[in-house]
Amino acid sequence: MNISDMKKDYENTPIPDELDFIVRKTLKKEKDKMKFHKLSKNIITGVAAAAALFVLTVNVSPAAANAMADVPVLTSLVKVVTFREYTYKDDHHEADVKVPQVTGLDNKDLENHLNEKYLEENTKLYKDFLKNIGTDNLDKANLALFTDYKVILDTDSLLVMASEKTEIAASGSESVHYDTIDKKNQMVLTLSSLFKDSSYIDVISKNIISQMKDQMAKDEDKMYFIADGTEDGFKTISADQNFYINKDGKLVISFNEYDVAPGVMGIVEFIIPTEVIKDILVSDYYVK
Amino acid sequence: MGHPTTYDEMAEFILQNKENYYRLAYSYVRSREDALDIVQEAIVRAFSSRKTLKDTASMKSWFYRIIINTALDFLRKNKKYTYLDEEQWEGLSSGPGDTYEDVDLHKALDKLSPKNRTIIILRFFEDMKLSDIARILGENENTVKTSLYSTLKKLRLELTEDMV
Repeated sequence: MNISDMKKDYENTPIPDELDFIVRKTLKKEKDKMKFHKLSKNIITGVAAAAALFVLTVNVSPAAANAMADVPVLTSLVKVVTFREYTYKDDHHEADVKVPQVTGLDNKDLENHLNEKYLEENTKLYKDFLKNIGTDNLDKANLALFTDYKVILDTDSLLVMASEKTEIAASGSESVHYDTIDKKNQMVLTLSSLFKDSSYIDVISKNIISQMKDQMAKDEDKMYFIADGTEDGFKTISADQNFYINKDGKLVISFNEYDVAPGVMGIVEFIIPTEVIKDILVSDYYVK
Repeated sequence: MGHPTTYDEMAEFILQNKENYYRLAYSYVRSREDALDIVQEAIVRAFSSRKTLKDTASMKSWFYRIIINTALDFLRKNKKYTYLDEEQWEGLSSGPGDTYEDVDLHKALDKLSPKNRTIIILRFFEDMKLSDIARILGENENTVKTSLYSTLKKLRLELTEDMV
């Protein structure tokens, strides 16, 4: 026997099927930990900034101090809490499904509608998960399911909720769905309702393609699938494409993992410059 | 040179090299479950000590070092493994004419001390430079070279010059 035999022997160490699963699961947990740290840091910075602004305003103008005394409630009454959490764990399977609940909306019909939707969707995910792991061919396969939600924007007029879902089997897949809620008018916005006519589909799609090309030209780590003659890939957004409105009042279009890019790119989002769509917007009330 | 390593870079790197890390962990514990635990624990440690990684280019040896330390901690903590320190290992295998020439070489590798085995694995199976191995083990390069020569002698392996 010589070194190369030994090397062959070493390389023949059997690799367990669940190695990939365990590595992906651990990486996913680390990612969540990092997100959480980042989030708490942002919240602390936000509170400190608000406090600083408050002190500054009071010092500068006695009139402002009086005016502020009249503002009874500074925080929003609309809140999102965890209504229910389903968890499951055995040697091969793990699930953690969080069901959000929106409270404090005056429009109770809207509130109930949203909450029923969240409960129904998440319960179905969890039940399907249990059903899957109970079947003969999957009871030894490794499966994990995580859902979570985040409030990504909460202003006087808008509330944007992100519902995230991660499924890990042979490989992982991540998706997110956004609900943009108009708190004043008490309704959930749809993409088409923001525009005068259906021309937005074409206008937004063209802008996204040019953003994709631009990013790929500038950064070799970026990679998108763009339909190009024979090549399969992104051609156009759907009429009800996943979207939200960010804190700057800009329209953000979101694609799930694998939809328009290789898996390493994860969930991809594009901010659509308002000047590109301003002529076809119904108004500048939501998108600024 | 380089830049702080991002989550994505690290995650992708770990995914790509997971089998190498598993094999190395397995060579320490010889148990599937324990080797999987070590890989998992090493990933957690890697992320919590991410700031100690100065440069993305040294990620490979940095992560090997974490795997090795995690495996050694594991061996110390678990009583089902008899853990011998380097001196005890040497004491066991230092008789005159004590070579493993007749033993299956795979088993011979098992009989080496963890450190000497790691040197063999990293040098020949993972094709790493002696200077990188020295950094991983926290030793100077000459010490590593000497250990490597004496191990090879013990294993009675014929080598061409360029292998060391």
